[in-house]
Amino acid sequence: MNKIKVLVLLSILVVALLLDVALGSVHIPLKDVIKILFTPDAGNETWVYIIEKIRLPKALTAIIVGCGLSVSGLQMQTLFRNPLAGPSVLGITAGASLGVALVMLSAGSITSLYTIKELGISGSWLIIMASSLGAAMIMILIVSISSALKDNVIVLIVGVMIGNITLSVISIWQYFSSPELIKDYLLWTFGSLGGVTGEQLLILAVVVFAGLLISFLSSKLLDALLLGDNYARSMGLTVKRARILIIGSTSILAGGITAFCGPIGFIGIAVPHLARALFNTSNHRILIPACCLIGTVLMLICDIVAQLPGSQTVLPINVITALVGSPVVIWIIAGPTKLRGF
Amino acid sequence: MMKKINSCSFRGVFPCLIVSLLLITSCKQNQSGQKHHTAKTGSAEIKYAKGFNIDYYDHYKLVSIYSGIGAHADTTQYVLLAKGAKAPEGYKKAQLIQIPVQSLIAMSSMHIALADFAGAANAITGLGSLKYVSSATVRKNIAAGKVKEVGIDGTMNDEMLISMKPGLVMVMGDPDAKFSKYETLSGAGVPVMLNSEWLETTPLGRAEWVKLMAALMDKEDYVNTKFDAVEKEYNRLAAIGKKAVTKPTLVCGMPFKGTWYVPDGDSYMVKFLKDAGTNYKWADVHGKGSLPLNFEAVAPVALQADFWLNVGTVDSKNDIKAIDSRYADFKPFKDNHIFNFNKKVNDIGSNDYWESGAVNPQLILSDLIKIFHPELLPDYQLVYYKQLN
Repeated sequence: MNKIKVLVLLSILVVALLLDVALGSVHIPLKDVIKILFTPDAGNETWVYIIEKIRLPKALTAIIVGCGLSVSGLQMQTLFRNPLAGPSVLGITAGASLGVALVMLSAGSITSLYTIKELGISGSWLIIMASSLGAAMIMILIVSISSALKDNVIVLIVGVMIGNITLSVISIWQYFSSPELIKDYLLWTFGSLGGVTGEQLLILAVVVFAGLLISFLSSKLLDALLLGDNYARSMGLTVKRARILIIGSTSILAGGITAFCGPIGFIGIAVPHLARALFNTSNHRILIPACCLIGTVLMLICDIVAQLPGSQTVLPINVITALVGSPVVIWIIAGPTKLRGF
Repeated sequence: MMKKINSCSFRGVFPCLIVSLLLITSCKQNQSGQKHHTAKTGSAEIKYAKGFNIDYYDHYKLVSIYSGIGAHADTTQYVLLAKGAKAPEGYKKAQLIQIPVQSLIAMSSMHIALADFAGAANAITGLGSLKYVSSATVRKNIAAGKVKEVGIDGTMNDEMLISMKPGLVMVMGDPDAKFSKYETLSGAGVPVMLNSEWLETTPLGRAEWVKLMAALMDKEDYVNTKFDAVEKEYNRLAAIGKKAVTKPTLVCGMPFKGTWYVPDGDSYMVKFLKDAGTNYKWADVHGKGSLPLNFEAVAPVALQADFWLNVGTVDSKNDIKAIDSRYADFKPFKDNHIFNFNKKVNDIGSNDYWESGAVNPQLILSDLIKIFHPELLPDYQLVYYKQLN
């Protein structure tokens, strides 16, 4: 049964990927798209540029973001044993934004970190580091609060409030920054998949892959944590170490993605629930790849919608993920499905 | 962002609307005093600007500033009076401004440029931010401690402003600007003027706002002479530019994270491009000044364009490549045909293109013609633009 589901998902993924690359502002016939994808240097130079340098990197970014955010959301929901946890809900993305703001508003724009490059630190790495550290800082803060307070709802509220505090710190900072830097930062907050290319894409892929690997290797830990700290201890787990590992990989995933694509919401909270409902399990060995699959499909669809095929404009990806993700969250809270695994 | 909640703004909306409606319909009739097309200091005729008008009467000048379009159209009126003159009847809603204005608070680079052009830069006693100034006179006054920083638009320090007792505060208006934002100030007797010069769709229309400054400073004759020279030179150059045999293609601006804002056909920038004899792809698109396009929509043009202009805050081709290596594939990048308007950025990082450039459209047009058709202006040296290498 699961095999069929996986096959169906995979075929949807392939179709979505092809559509994402085939559709855009500039009309390129499907057979030319396929030709360009499979034969290098085929035909029309402009079309080759558009497919290879604009659409493909964007589609790959969508795949990376879909996997990374979904898995980081899954880990958080397990760690806090809270169905409403997710990077954007608990202020993790806000923490990452603070890290990015730190770099952007003090050193120049995220993309022209030329001055820093000359100092020998590559700008991309610096942003990733700042962003992941910001995310980790908030994560650790919330984890320590949640271990003191055992109430999920309170932790959620605290998380939201910490997120708000973080955002207001950023606002105060923006207020004293120069207009150009504010504009760059503001555009970054809309979220975008189209700004990641070449070296940045490689860095993002490496970082997210590392995060995914850590979480896949710790799926047993996650299963144990889901059953409660006492149970986990009885299995001989050092709960503290497990937590640190999970916080680490979540921060890398959410931080890395936020650094390059801006704070993209809702994917992290919605996808894990879809995965649980679809595969009817709380086993992380299945859930993690399932999240990657569903997250990728969802992100690709969001990207197709965002670029409004045939039109000249593009909508911020955040707008679309919120439109797609919010109903899922409502369905989680109010729907007929009992929250599995909590 | 902090917002001031004005408790009376809601209650005030209806009376305001009714009164302004009455005002628009009645102001044609209540002209106390003979309409008189000249003041002691001369008078001005507005030819290009769409955002304001000045009527000259015997003892006062009436300035109307238009905001909004269609159903939201609104007119704000100002009665300009010499010291001691009696206020005319029938302008209950209009703000009174005593002229010549002795102390002016300016909120944008453009306002500094207007005052400078009218030879009245010494009247500026406060600025939104002291960081964006090119005018030598104003910078000298800042150094001497004669100019205060009052906070940028929207977060102005009202208490400080009121205590300064300025003759006029000039703010940047926009089509949806709510005057209620400034009721604290106008209620305290500080006149506030909403300028919307940046909404003008032609370079000369923008520059013509100097005539408003002239009326405020009683310098009509002086400014008219200067503006006429600007106008004549601009039209002479535009005639040369339009006659150019070749019409090079170009792209403007710098994309950010996949979105590329390009000027649309209604923007003054495109008027410049047309007058400089170019072939600009979005010249016929009507809009609000710029179009948010996605990178893909602009890429086919950028890949084959002859020129790339106004690339933001970068200083070299390496900077551009560092932002995104994909830009190196553009033809203007390969041909070394990238020009940026930041030649006159001073030591504090303020760009004079936005200041004196706004009231000297003839210089910007010369720059553009020199860039696109060097053979038409062989001996000319670029003023605001520079080539990036």
